[in-house]
Amino acid sequence: MINAEGLTKRYGAKAAVNDIDFTVQPGRVTGFLGPNGAGKSTTMRMIVGLDSPTAGFVTVNGAPYASHKAPLREVGALLDAKAVHTGRSAYNHLLAMGATHGIGKSRVREVIGMTGLESVASKRVGGFSLGMGQRLGIAAALLGDPATLILDEPVNGLDPEGVLWVRNLVQQLAHEGRTVFLSSHLMSEMAVTADHLIVLGRGRIIADAPMATILARASGASVTLKSPQASQLAQLLAGPDVSITSTERGSLTISGVSAPQVGETAARAGIALHELTPGNASLEEAYMELTKDDVEYQTTSALLTEGASK
Amino acid sequence: MTTLSQPAPSRLTTGGILNSEWIKLRSVRSPAWAFAITIVVTVAFAALLSIPLGGQALPSADAASELGRTATTGVLFSQIVVAVLGVLVITGEYATGMIRSTLAAVPSRVGALAGKAAVLFAATFVIAVIASVVAFAVSSLMYASREVSASLVDPGVLLPILGGALYLALLAMLSLGIGTMLRSSAGGIATVLGVLLLLPLLLSFIPFDWAADVAPFLFGNAGIAFWQPSEGGLDWWQNLLISIGWVVASLGGGAILLSRRDA
Repeated sequence: MINAEGLTKRYGAKAAVNDIDFTVQPGRVTGFLGPNGAGKSTTMRMIVGLDSPTAGFVTVNGAPYASHKAPLREVGALLDAKAVHTGRSAYNHLLAMGATHGIGKSRVREVIGMTGLESVASKRVGGFSLGMGQRLGIAAALLGDPATLILDEPVNGLDPEGVLWVRNLVQQLAHEGRTVFLSSHLMSEMAVTADHLIVLGRGRIIADAPMATILARASGASVTLKSPQASQLAQLLAGPDVSITSTERGSLTISGVSAPQVGETAARAGIALHELTPGNASLEEAYMELTKDDVEYQTTSALLTEGASK
Repeated sequence: MTTLSQPAPSRLTTGGILNSEWIKLRSVRSPAWAFAITIVVTVAFAALLSIPLGGQALPSADAASELGRTATTGVLFSQIVVAVLGVLVITGEYATGMIRSTLAAVPSRVGALAGKAAVLFAATFVIAVIASVVAFAVSSLMYASREVSASLVDPGVLLPILGGALYLALLAMLSLGIGTMLRSSAGGIATVLGVLLLLPLLLSFIPFDWAADVAPFLFGNAGIAFWQPSEGGLDWWQNLLISIGWVVASLGGGAILLSRRDA
């Protein structure tokens, strides 16, 4: 269990993390979301004592990280896949990490096996791909068989098999009663992995709720359609409260209009519909809606609408 | 999934920290290179200085100090390698991000630095002793034909060997402290070499009395003077204390900054 109260980190006048309170419960996967610069990594670093809070405190399993007798057994953290000396082999890295806690070769071999690193374990880490580095970081996090896992972007750079493996692993770990706190920018992956979400924006918590609640709260229900005359239909549907986006030619995603309205409009104009799908809000849409006012580094280019591109 | 199959691992201990740092020191290339160069340079200088020049016989009373001198002259050159190693041991961790893994495993910053210092000190001292003992053996062989010989445990031989090794180990500590404060390989190496080589040179160019008064207190001068015979000046123990003072200041500064800063 992770518990933060009044947790604050200021860099000069700017508050990277601004007086946040949250609890990460054991037995479930808690996702940690937020735009770049929202303070996720800073928060995670404060949990394991790498950064010290300007104000407030955070405890892990009831005590500050540094005060535990066996920190690696309390918390396994993947904060930065490249937190490894590039000149050292993966095996020796894990051996040196484990040695601090008297964790020996057999456990090192075990986590190497669990993370699929057998074939590269004796190679120097400098030559590792991003995915291999992530696997090594996860191996290091698992080393102490910890009660709490903190994983910052664990699937970053992993192949599809690796992404699936991380998903199953974290769910298994949570099922065993551990606390799992993970961040990711891959919304589709987070949607199927996490049970609970904490969303951070500009250093403040903007949502802390079960996944289902966050999805239900989102207004972003939309209709997706395919039509050979999509652009013509887009013009007919256009209105003040209607937002129309197109990701590919002949395909539209429309919000603000219901599926029956779309179908009837098309029928009146004699436009053929090849697909018409009403959709619930995805986590991505829910997330975008939650964070739209809190994006630190926003791109200004508008989404391409087919009507505008003509 | 076999995550729970492991019997509960033991906890963070001082012995564990030392073991971890020893594994780290052995498992990257630069320490092995630095130690190999230290041995090669020390032995090579001893051999060079033992080449017979002319036919001058050596009074037997001076045999021990002569062999002690040849066995430790290499220290003046291997000190560069040791200085660089002392910096790299910590800045290599900053450059690669390893420091965050280190401090996650050992949240006590002072404990982590102390473990690193202890292992580096011991390894440097032992390697330097081995280098000088081998150098002494080579010198003894080359001097044997001129009937110059001395026992390894003769104070004239043993004290310079132990003193030179202690100097190198202290230098490694000075460098480790500077590397910890600066967190940059280039900056750390430049600073250590500046303190070691440039500062004495600089002072010798300053035409004021205070410059000459300060010179004996420099690490590079005091560190050599406590084990190499010199005329006048401070006592050996004063020089040793001055050298230790530098190390305490450097490692202390490193420990304070390491504890205060975010990793």
